[in-house]
Amino acid sequence: MPGIDDFTRPVEYLSPLDRSLGEIVRSWAEKEVLPYRREYDEDWEEHRLIEPAFDRLMGELGLQRVLFPEEVGGWGLGHSDYLGTGSYRMFEEIARADSAMAVAFGVVFWPLIMICNEPHVNMRLCEEFAPMFIETNKAVFTANAMTEPQGGADIENMDLLGGSTIETCAILEGDEWVINGHKLWPTNSAGVADLFGVVCTTSPGSTDPEEFAFIFVPADTEGVTQGKPYQKAGMAADKNSDIWFENVRVPSWYRACGPGDDFKYFKEIISLGSMGTIAFVSGAMMNIYEILREFCEEKTFRGRPLKENDDVAGVLADFVRDLEVIRVIGYQAARMMDRPDLYGDRWSEEMVAKTRAFKYFAADKAVENVGLVMNLMGAHGSDRVRDVEKHWRDLKIVQLWMGGKQLCQMEVARWFFDCETL
Amino acid sequence: MKYQEIFPVPCEWVQDIDESMVETVARWGEQEVVSGRLEHTEDYDKLLLPAIHKLFCDIGLQSMLWPEESGGGGLETAEVAMTVAVALEQVGTADTSIGFLFANTFAVQSTFAVEPHRNEELLAELAPVFCGDDVAVGSLVLPGYGGSNAAAREEFYGLPYQVSAERHGEGWALSGEAVRPQCSGKNAAVFAVAFDAGDGGPAVALLGEGAKRLSSGEPIKKTGLAASLNADLDLKGVEVGGGRVVLTGEDRFREMLSFYYMSCAATILGSLLAAYEILKEWGNTRVIKGKGQVFKENPLDAALMGRAASRIATSRVLTYTLARMLSRPDIYGPAGSQGMFNTATATFKQVAGAAMLSMNNAMEMMASAGYATEWNLERYWRDVKTIEGTVIPETAAWAMLARHYFGCRTL
Repeated sequence: MPGIDDFTRPVEYLSPLDRSLGEIVRSWAEKEVLPYRREYDEDWEEHRLIEPAFDRLMGELGLQRVLFPEEVGGWGLGHSDYLGTGSYRMFEEIARADSAMAVAFGVVFWPLIMICNEPHVNMRLCEEFAPMFIETNKAVFTANAMTEPQGGADIENMDLLGGSTIETCAILEGDEWVINGHKLWPTNSAGVADLFGVVCTTSPGSTDPEEFAFIFVPADTEGVTQGKPYQKAGMAADKNSDIWFENVRVPSWYRACGPGDDFKYFKEIISLGSMGTIAFVSGAMMNIYEILREFCEEKTFRGRPLKENDDVAGVLADFVRDLEVIRVIGYQAARMMDRPDLYGDRWSEEMVAKTRAFKYFAADKAVENVGLVMNLMGAHGSDRVRDVEKHWRDLKIVQLWMGGKQLCQMEVARWFFDCETL
Repeated sequence: MKYQEIFPVPCEWVQDIDESMVETVARWGEQEVVSGRLEHTEDYDKLLLPAIHKLFCDIGLQSMLWPEESGGGGLETAEVAMTVAVALEQVGTADTSIGFLFANTFAVQSTFAVEPHRNEELLAELAPVFCGDDVAVGSLVLPGYGGSNAAAREEFYGLPYQVSAERHGEGWALSGEAVRPQCSGKNAAVFAVAFDAGDGGPAVALLGEGAKRLSSGEPIKKTGLAASLNADLDLKGVEVGGGRVVLTGEDRFREMLSFYYMSCAATILGSLLAAYEILKEWGNTRVIKGKGQVFKENPLDAALMGRAASRIATSRVLTYTLARMLSRPDIYGPAGSQGMFNTATATFKQVAGAAMLSMNNAMEMMASAGYATEWNLERYWRDVKTIEGTVIPETAAWAMLARHYFGCRTL
């Protein structure tokens, strides 16, 4: 009988670690998350249930170390040929249990991409930050502080606005950056993260790529204040809040890559974020498939199991058709992250556009399909016991993070049609 | 009429009593719900229950079909359908979940309190419940998917009844495990339970919350509808006298469902209007692409806003038209006819689908503000989705419509 491991993926792309990573994360998810996830909605502020599960995955099993170079105690994923496909497998398995946990986990690596990935490894910062992730059995998080109150997704709209709307300002005074600004919505904020990657400008209003700065700020630095978590429709394991930076001082070498390169490699964050999002989508859909199988065998309509009704079968077929497609394009996106020698730089406009296209296709299809699945399930669709409604709420958020759908559309049209004013 | 100038309704069908109802309920929404939402979000005890009490008891929605001398509103003809529609539009704008409770309550009451089915004996018997000072919610128990807990093999349009019935004297003994009512399983005052009455086809019996051998489980957690403390019911041979069987036969059952679907469509319409206000504020105040462009002036966003407006406008006309058709059986025929029932089903599905599309689009435009509780849109989105699935499984709805419009013989 087919199961979740029977959905197609290009097996020749897979990392040598694929099987063991998959087994580790699936085993963790089934023991530490699936039995408890229905209580997560009430745990959105405290994370009393969520935090121990993260400790097990990231601290004890050590997955928070994977991106760092081996020289500093990491697993070297950042300079392997399996950055994309290795990450995809982990993200997908976590999202099968809880996509918010997958987002929170994935974001741990988001700012670290700037310093751990070839060809822009910043070994000094790797050496400085790696111990906080490696010398502990507790989960340690990072956050990417991008969005600001005045502009929403404008920060991510790099090619149109060139960083000109960024108001968080970093001024170099001696050998220290002095940062002032206000950020909204970072995943792993509200007191979760120990380290922020902060998008700043060194000259407000400038579109000069050299003025764009990506600077690391430890969360306990004087002048950093975080708000309370926002309450949302779902994604309880992903805390978001305001962060204020008031005369925050960090060493000058906390800038990730330097003038020009911060701007260039920041786009890699977008490409990898889009790829990760597809993994969150396919993981959640795989779990919905498992639930649907059980539901449609148990429940009857017109005297037959639901799945034996032609009209129901049509909905089920559409669901797995789209999951098949999403998984294939997800692994293709991951492969493109793995092999820039074949597909082009991860930070190129082309790669941003293509991964954005894959991402919003996957998310749109998931939202559409899960909505239909809920309608198919009738009153059981909105019952938390069935877990589908949780995925429905979470996937809507997954669809909209990283700047929302319209920004994806603009970036895709801009590259494929050479639009000049979007 | 609120929103009249923006999304017109066929105003010639709206009477003075309806206008007055709109004003009263709109004021209730502002004072009792909207003003407290920031502090209490969806808290049942602090926000929703006091608001329900004000609406159901003080304003008198729950007693509107009882005679004035009993403390009711004195409405008794099918024309009440329009009054209910305009009221529910306003309730749904303030809080969809409270609207859903009243949609259920009205559907239950329609079986014995609306001409030509007014049952004076039952009205008198239930006057202390619905005309008193305590909230009295009515809740439907309808056929649903079968499975391990299906009590009966008989079906209504392919959906098995959740409750089985055996003759008990002049009445019936009803049984069923893990029976899922439409709302308020934990605290409804009256359940209207559908069952198969043999040759008579479907029947509905009224059970009070204190009925012997009727028990409810713990409130279930669900996507939305915070005002509904729903819970599964166990019926272990609950005896119900013949006088409490408020309807028998397919025509009467379809009539009840037609009133129910119209009421749910009106509630959802209210949610759509609330979503419109939220999106309008966002579109007027948000600036994108640097500091040059007001959100609503962006052509891509404007195109989505246009689609949302189109769906709201057509949903409103559809819902009011259905309410009119149900309120004037002398013109449009009985509410329980197959044709009217299908119109009601199609209207409900159309309005619910339009609402979900529009709210999904609105969330996509508002991005994180769309799913942040602070902006309220996500609550309407969760509530409408819950209603959309709870009222009727989509598979059954499409089969019903195909059977009627295309003459399918085996569905």
